[in-house]
Amino acid sequence: MDVVLADRLQFAFTIMFHYLFPITTMGLAPFVAWFTVRAYRTQDEERARAAAFWTKIFTINFAIGVVTGIPMEFQFGTNWAAFSAKAGAVVGQPLAMEGVYAFFLESIFLGALFYNRGRIPNKLQAVAGVMVWLGSWLSGFFIVATDAWMQHPVGYVVASDGSLQMGNLAAVLLSPFAWWQYTHVLAGALVTGGFVVAGVGAYYLLAGREEAIARRFVHLGTIVAIVFSMLVIFPTGDGNSKNVTQYQPVKLAAMEGLFESTKGAPLAIIGMPDLQNKSLIDPVFVPNILSFLAYGNFDANVKGLSAYATELWPPVELTYYAYHVMVGLGTIFVTIAAVAALLLWRKRLFQTRWMLWLMMLAMPFPYIANEAGWTTTEVGRQPWIVYGLMKTASAASPTVVTGETIFTLIGFVGMYFILGVLFIYLVLREIGIGPSGEAQVREGSVEAVS
Amino acid sequence: MNVAAFVVIAVILTAYVLLDGYDLGVAAIAPFVARNERQRLAAMQAIGPFWNGNEVCLIAGGGILFALFPRAYAASFSGFYLPFIVVLWLLMGRGISLELRDHYPNRMWRQFWDAIFFLSSALLVVFFGVALGNLIRGLPLDAQGYFLGTFAFLLNWYALLVAVFALGALALHGAAFLALRVDGELNQRAKMAVRRIWPVVLVLFVLVTVATFFTHPVGAVAVAFGVLAFAALLALRALARAPEAAIFGISSAFLALQMGAVAATLFPYLLPAFPQSAGAGLSIYDASSSPAALVSALGVSIAGLVAVAVYGTIVWRMLAGKVHVAE
Repeated sequence: MDVVLADRLQFAFTIMFHYLFPITTMGLAPFVAWFTVRAYRTQDEERARAAAFWTKIFTINFAIGVVTGIPMEFQFGTNWAAFSAKAGAVVGQPLAMEGVYAFFLESIFLGALFYNRGRIPNKLQAVAGVMVWLGSWLSGFFIVATDAWMQHPVGYVVASDGSLQMGNLAAVLLSPFAWWQYTHVLAGALVTGGFVVAGVGAYYLLAGREEAIARRFVHLGTIVAIVFSMLVIFPTGDGNSKNVTQYQPVKLAAMEGLFESTKGAPLAIIGMPDLQNKSLIDPVFVPNILSFLAYGNFDANVKGLSAYATELWPPVELTYYAYHVMVGLGTIFVTIAAVAALLLWRKRLFQTRWMLWLMMLAMPFPYIANEAGWTTTEVGRQPWIVYGLMKTASAASPTVVTGETIFTLIGFVGMYFILGVLFIYLVLREIGIGPSGEAQVREGSVEAVS
Repeated sequence: MNVAAFVVIAVILTAYVLLDGYDLGVAAIAPFVARNERQRLAAMQAIGPFWNGNEVCLIAGGGILFALFPRAYAASFSGFYLPFIVVLWLLMGRGISLELRDHYPNRMWRQFWDAIFFLSSALLVVFFGVALGNLIRGLPLDAQGYFLGTFAFLLNWYALLVAVFALGALALHGAAFLALRVDGELNQRAKMAVRRIWPVVLVLFVLVTVATFFTHPVGAVAVAFGVLAFAALLALRALARAPEAAIFGISSAFLALQMGAVAATLFPYLLPAFPQSAGAGLSIYDASSSPAALVSALGVSIAGLVAVAVYGTIVWRMLAGKVHVAE
């Protein structure tokens, strides 16, 4: 195997596993902050239990997110040294800022949020809840800003030795490309958070436990889910598509499976790309919609893959399927959340068991949609590592050989498998104990009070 | 500007050694000073609210190194590929054992994670020590600063001696921190650990210092740092009856002065070359970003770090105080 492919597999595997946890922490952080601040304000026991419960779930996610996140930053140096040497002066800066501005905030205040917890949160914990929220969202911002620069490089200067140097930090951080991507990522995380909170509440209602607190979960989760499953499509998803249309037209063609440039291009709802015959197999088209979505004009000309040299194509099948999985699931989320919101408004949601089942079973799917979205973005960026400036093929470490990367990849797969099993076990256990069961278990265990 | 960048890297890595150093030190001595489950839990709770923030010093340090000296970041991380990945795995093992240990009330579960915690922390110190020793000794590098040697080259007697010294110094530091943070019998045992580890550290300090003179030319600044570090080490013994906070402060000063000596020895190199190798090493002038990029990265890093120091101190003061060990 080619070392670049081994490096890419390692990055893809470690980032996709890692990202499951930041989705959850970014999506749950506002809920943790909300319950903690409300519990502090009202001095209410039930809200305090809700806060403690979601803080625990958050902490497990945060812990695994941290330990799987460290290899991400260091992989730039270990596996992608040529990229780091050439582009480090630019991409290193948002990454350094993530450490300095976001990680410290998150980890220092999480220590304050979780330790010394009495029954009712105190003022420090209320502040800490908000700070942890801020930290997790800032962290997401700096990472997305880094990625957005690799998608659409701005604010850089080419030095005499060919390296890329930071020209204008503000341009990198305020790039519209970054902001559309970031708001889209946040909306995706909040859809996940909404579905998870509502789904856990739905489970308790179905199981006939924790009913009062479960209604809070379902209520709040449904509202967040309906709001953000719409925002994830418009304006954030739309804003992203417009950027891709403008700056990465070949990625757009791969996402949509459009082989030939077409005036009044149709949108393929389903269909399978066939690279041999350069067409979609069994497509279902909606006429003229792709032209409208890309350019706001039903008759606009959309460039197809054949307008570009084959070596500039991203892997078409993967980009196409990942994009269609994301969009398909996104549409389903709006439908589920809208029905749930309607039932909530008619005050029938808590009694409608089939809907509660649906909400509970829907929980994993926002994760799939988020991962599929990132797959579209990153696979669609190929063959570039920095769009238009540096090819992925020339970015790997010159001193690292395939065997080393395969060895460490196997190591990561093994460790992450164990982490995944532990995570599922611990989260299911916390859900099993539930918000009000916590007190008994805690008192029963050996515990030094600090 | 490049010198300022070097100082920022040195400061954040020193902060890492002082802060995460006590987490690693507590981990290294916990199996020996904590006699029962309550004491082990108290030792964990002593570092519980802090370790994650401390570890961020390393992560942020890596990010800052990336932004300020991209070529040094690229050359060192990829040149030492396997050791770096193993360090990542150890950091994962350490973090996960701390976080998951108390999520399930079962004795075997805790014992398992305690063992992972001890092993990964102790090995981390050894790896960091070997790395530091090799940095001081110099490395066979090509013109781009990539490592040309083998894994066996890294395991030389000098680096291993530094690793043992690092383990001793951080165990001492961890014991001083534990004494500060817990009460009861564990407090007494931590203080006893400080007294017992001290002579070992003294002997190792002398050995490492002598060995360093034979390994690498040592400048006057480094000697000054070394003398001050020695004074701090003696003060630690002389003031054995001082308040716990003072003992921990002196132990911190000892480590910081050591790091100062290391930085002074390396300067102006980030990756110094081993005497026999072709390249001269990767200096702060070869490896840095452009002047404009340095200004930008230094500005945001320093402003951010000052803010962290302020709110970190405030939060940590609020969380300070003794962990009570139920007897």
